[in-house]
Amino acid sequence: MPDWKEEIRRRLSGLRLSPTREAEIVEELAQHLDDRYEGLLLGGATKEEAYQVVLLELTEGDVLVQELRGVEISVRHESIVLGERRRMSMSEDFWQDLRYGLRMLVKNPGFTVVAVIALALGIGANSAIFSVVNTVLLRPLPYKDPDRLVMVWEDNTRSGFPRDTPAAANYVDWRDQNQVFEGMAAIADQSFNLTGIGEPERIEGKRVSANLFPLLGVEPQLGRAFLPEEDQPGGGRVVLLSHGLWQRRFGSDANITGKPLSLNGEIYTVVGVMSPDFQFPSREDELWVPIAFTSQEAASRGRHYLKVIARTKQGVTLQQAQAEMNTIAARLGQQYPDQNTDLGATVTSLHDHVVGDIKPALLILLGAVGLVLLIACANVANLLLARAAVRQKEIAVRIALGASRLRLIRQFLTESILLSVLGGVVGLLLSLWGVKLLKAFIPENISQVQSVTVDAKVLLFTLLVSLLTGLIFGLAPITQASNFNLNETLKEGGRDSATGSRGNRIRGLLVVTEVAISLILLIGAGLLINSFLRLRNVDTGFRADNLLTMRIVLPTLKYPDQTRRTAFYTELVSRIENLPGVQTAAVTNWIPLVQQGDSQGISIEGRPDPGPGKNPVVVTRVVSPDYFSTMGIQLLQGRQFGDQDRVDSPRVIVVSQEMARRYWQGEDPLGKRIKTGGANSPNPWMEIVGVTKDVRQVKLDADPKPQMYVPYTQPVFFQPSHLVVRTDVEPRSLAATVRKTVWEIDKDQPVSNISTMEDVLSESIARQRFSMLLLGIFAAVALVLAAVGIYGVMSYSITQRTHEIGIRMALGAQASDVLKLAIGGGLKLVFIGVAIGLALSFVLTRLMSSLLFGVTATDPLTFVAVSLSLIVVALAACFVPARRATKVDPLIALRYE
Amino acid sequence: MAMSYIGSHILDRELKKGSAELLILSLVEDQPRHGYDIGNLIEQRSEGVLRFNVASLYPLLYRLEKRGWIQGRWVEKAGQRRRRYYRLTPEGKKVLAAQRNSWREFVEAVNRITGIEHA
Repeated sequence: MPDWKEEIRRRLSGLRLSPTREAEIVEELAQHLDDRYEGLLLGGATKEEAYQVVLLELTEGDVLVQELRGVEISVRHESIVLGERRRMSMSEDFWQDLRYGLRMLVKNPGFTVVAVIALALGIGANSAIFSVVNTVLLRPLPYKDPDRLVMVWEDNTRSGFPRDTPAAANYVDWRDQNQVFEGMAAIADQSFNLTGIGEPERIEGKRVSANLFPLLGVEPQLGRAFLPEEDQPGGGRVVLLSHGLWQRRFGSDANITGKPLSLNGEIYTVVGVMSPDFQFPSREDELWVPIAFTSQEAASRGRHYLKVIARTKQGVTLQQAQAEMNTIAARLGQQYPDQNTDLGATVTSLHDHVVGDIKPALLILLGAVGLVLLIACANVANLLLARAAVRQKEIAVRIALGASRLRLIRQFLTESILLSVLGGVVGLLLSLWGVKLLKAFIPENISQVQSVTVDAKVLLFTLLVSLLTGLIFGLAPITQASNFNLNETLKEGGRDSATGSRGNRIRGLLVVTEVAISLILLIGAGLLINSFLRLRNVDTGFRADNLLTMRIVLPTLKYPDQTRRTAFYTELVSRIENLPGVQTAAVTNWIPLVQQGDSQGISIEGRPDPGPGKNPVVVTRVVSPDYFSTMGIQLLQGRQFGDQDRVDSPRVIVVSQEMARRYWQGEDPLGKRIKTGGANSPNPWMEIVGVTKDVRQVKLDADPKPQMYVPYTQPVFFQPSHLVVRTDVEPRSLAATVRKTVWEIDKDQPVSNISTMEDVLSESIARQRFSMLLLGIFAAVALVLAAVGIYGVMSYSITQRTHEIGIRMALGAQASDVLKLAIGGGLKLVFIGVAIGLALSFVLTRLMSSLLFGVTATDPLTFVAVSLSLIVVALAACFVPARRATKVDPLIALRYE
Repeated sequence: MAMSYIGSHILDRELKKGSAELLILSLVEDQPRHGYDIGNLIEQRSEGVLRFNVASLYPLLYRLEKRGWIQGRWVEKAGQRRRRYYRLTPEGKKVLAAQRNSWREFVEAVNRITGIEHA
C-alpha cells in the first residue's frame, strides 16, 4: 500500500499547524486514503489506476489546503512541543524556550527556590569579593598616568629592612643624579597640634616636596599647591588642608585661603584645600606643608625617615629605573662608606605599595568563592538531574515528534541559564549587602576600602559568572538527554532510563566533586584559623588587659628641651597615678605593635669595630620608670629604672632577652656596656642594669628583634609620645578623666589615638582576622552546600532502590544490614572525594603560605582533623536518608512494581 | 456546451456546500461514524449523485467539530486500526432539527416555483 502520509504532510506544511494537530490530521486522512485505495482495487482497478485516482482526489484543486486554512488556522494552539517541521527562527525559539522555562520554574517553586538560593549564595559571594578585588587591585590609582608612579626605597637588607625609608641626603642625590625619572618627591611624617580654635587637636599630616602635587597630577580643589620657593628653609609657612579637615574644623569656609592657622605653636597660612578623594599617602593625613629641608637635614645620611615617590620618564620601564638606581646607590656606597656601604635602592610600583600585602589574601579569597560557586553548581546540576528523570517522558515525546537533540539541548540550556541569571540577580542583591559587611571587616589601613562599590564592572562580572554557571550546571541533564533509549521510555510502565547507571555515575561524580572542593576550602580555612589562634596565643611579652594608651606629642616650640619635656611627663604620670582606678602609668616613644621605627646602631664595649655601616641595629624604647610594671613586661635579671637614674648619673639601659642572647651568649649581660653609633662615636657608654622578656614590638608574626630600653630622664635621642595607664577598672572608662588631666597641665596639648592595648593588639592582626573570617565563612557555606548535595543524592538513590531494599528485607535482611548498604554507597563516594580533595589541597595550600603563621601549608594535624570532620558531616548527611531506608515496609515496597 | 458544463459544475459545488452540513449531521445522528464511512454513505445513498472526497469532506468535519455540533474521538476496536469516530453532540442535534426544517421549507418552495409536483 502506498504511503500517503508523506503526501499529506507535504500539503499541510504550508499551514504551519501545531505538530500534534498535524499528526492527527495526517493519520485520519491517511486512513481514509488507504480505505479508498482498497475500495478502488476491490472495484477492479489496477494498483496504478487506484493510486492515481486517490492522489487526484487528495490534490483536487487545492481544496484541502484552502478549506483547512479556514478551519484550522483560527484554532492554532500555542505549542510547547518542539517539532523540527515547525520552522521557527532562532529568536522565536529562544522566546518560546524562555516562556516555557519560566512556566517550569513557576510550576516547581520548591526546586526553583532551592536552586536560586544556592546559586545566589555562590554568585553573591563572587560579586562581593570581586567588587573588593576590582577596587583594591584593578582600579587604577586616582592620579595622572598612575602606571608611571613608583616608590623608591633604600635597600637596607643588612639591617633587616629590605625596603627602608630613605635618608634625606640619599634622596637629594638620587633626585639630582638620575636620568630615568621625570620628577622625584619626598614625604615625611609630621603630626601637628592644631590650637587656637576650639579643642586642641592632634592632626596627622606630611611634609612634602613642593613638586609632589604636579608629580601626581592633582590640583587643589580650592586655592593652589605649593610654590617651589616655599620648599626652601624660611620659604614661608604655608599649609594645604584635606577636604575632611576643612569641613570638620572650618565649616567648609570658602574663603579659607590666606587665613592663618596655629600648628605646633607656629602660624601657617592656608593656601589651598584638596579634593575629597585625595588621600595621600593615607586616609589619616589631613595636612600638608612644604618639606623645606634645612642644609643640615639635606646632608644627613643617618636618619632614615622619608618616603620617596617618583614618576618615570615616558617609555622607561621599572627594570630600567631599577638598574639606574642600582648604579647610583653603588656610587653613593663608595662615596660615603660610613653610612652607605651595602645600602641599595629598590624601585617598586606605587600600585604595589598601595595594595600592599592584602593582594595574596584577596586572590585566595577570590579563588575560594569560585570554588563555593562550583559546589553550588554541582548542587543545582544534581537537582536538574533529578528533574530530568521526571521529565523523561516529555523529552521522549518531543524526540518522537521530531525534535532534534540540538534543539532539546538549546532548550535545556535556556532553562538553566534562566535559572542562573535569576540566581545572579538575587546574588547581586546579596553582594550589595556583602560589600557593606566586607567594608566593616577589611582592615582600615588598606587604602580605597571605603570606596569599594558595586560598579558596572562588577555587574558585568556577575552577568558573566551567571551565564558561565548556567552553562556548567546545565550540561549535566544534557549528557542524559543526548543519551537515552526512546523506545524504553515511551513504553507504558517502562522504567525510567535516566535513573540507570549513567545517571548514577554523574550523580556520584557530583558528590565526589563537592566533597573534594569543600575539603580544599575547609583545609584552607582550617590552616588560617590555626594560624590565627597561634597568632593570638603568641607571647607578646606584655599584658594587654586593663591597659589604656594614648598619644601625646609635645610641640618642640613649647617644649624645646628635654628638661621641660621630662618635667611635663613626670607631672602627668604622677597626677594620673593618683587618679582613682589607676594602678600605674608610664610614657614611652612607641607602644608595641603600632610602629616599627626608632632603631639605633650600637657599638659594644670591648668588641672589634665591625666596620662602617655594619654595627648591630637595635630597637630603642625610651621609657619612664614604671613602664615595665605598667605594661606587665617581666624583668628577668637586674633592676628596673628608678629615681637614681638622673641626667647626671651614670647612663643605664635595660635590654631584652633576645639582645642579651644575641650579643652576650653565655655571658652575664649585667654590667656590660654599649654606646650608640660607631666605635669611635663620642656618645657615652651605657651600662646594662636589667634584662626583660622579649616584647613583640613590631608585629605579632615577626620574631622579636633585639631591643633596649633607655630611661627618659637621661639624655635620649627619641622623644616619648605615648602614655600607658594600667587600670583596675574598664580602661576606656578612664579615657575622659586622663585627657582632662593632660589639659589641666597644658590646655593646648592635644591627645590622640586613645585606645585600649587590647584593641591595638586586635588591630595589629586585623588583616589575618579578615582572611580567616572570610575563608571560614566560605568554607562553612561550602560545607553546608556539600552536605545538602550529599543528602539529596543519597535520598534520591534510596528512593530509587526502595524495591531492592524491600526484596532484601523480605529475604531476611536486618535494619542494620540495610543501613550498612545505604550508608556504604554514600561513604564510598565521600572517601573518594576526600582522597582527591586531600591531594589537591596538598598542592593548593602552598599558594597561601604567605598568609600562614606557625603552621606549614601541609600541616598534617589540620589535614587530618578537617578530613575527619568532613567525613562526620558527610556521614550524617548519608545517615538520615539511610535510616529512612530501614523503615521500608517490604510489602509496600514490592507492591510498587 | 462548455459554458453549461462550467455552470453546472459551479452549481454542483454550491449545492453540495449548502447541503453538506445537513447530510453529515444526519448521518451521525443515530450512530458515530468515521470519515470514510460518512463519505461512502453519502455516495451510496445518493446513488452516486453526491460525492465528497477526502479533500472536501475532512475540512467540513473539522469545521462542524469546531462549532461543537459533532465530536470526534479516536476509537480502537479489536482487530482494526484506530479510527476517528464522529458523533452528534446535543447542540448538533438542535442544529440538525432546525436545518431539516429549513431544508424542507426550501425544497418545497423551490418545487412550488419550478412546478415539480409530487406524484
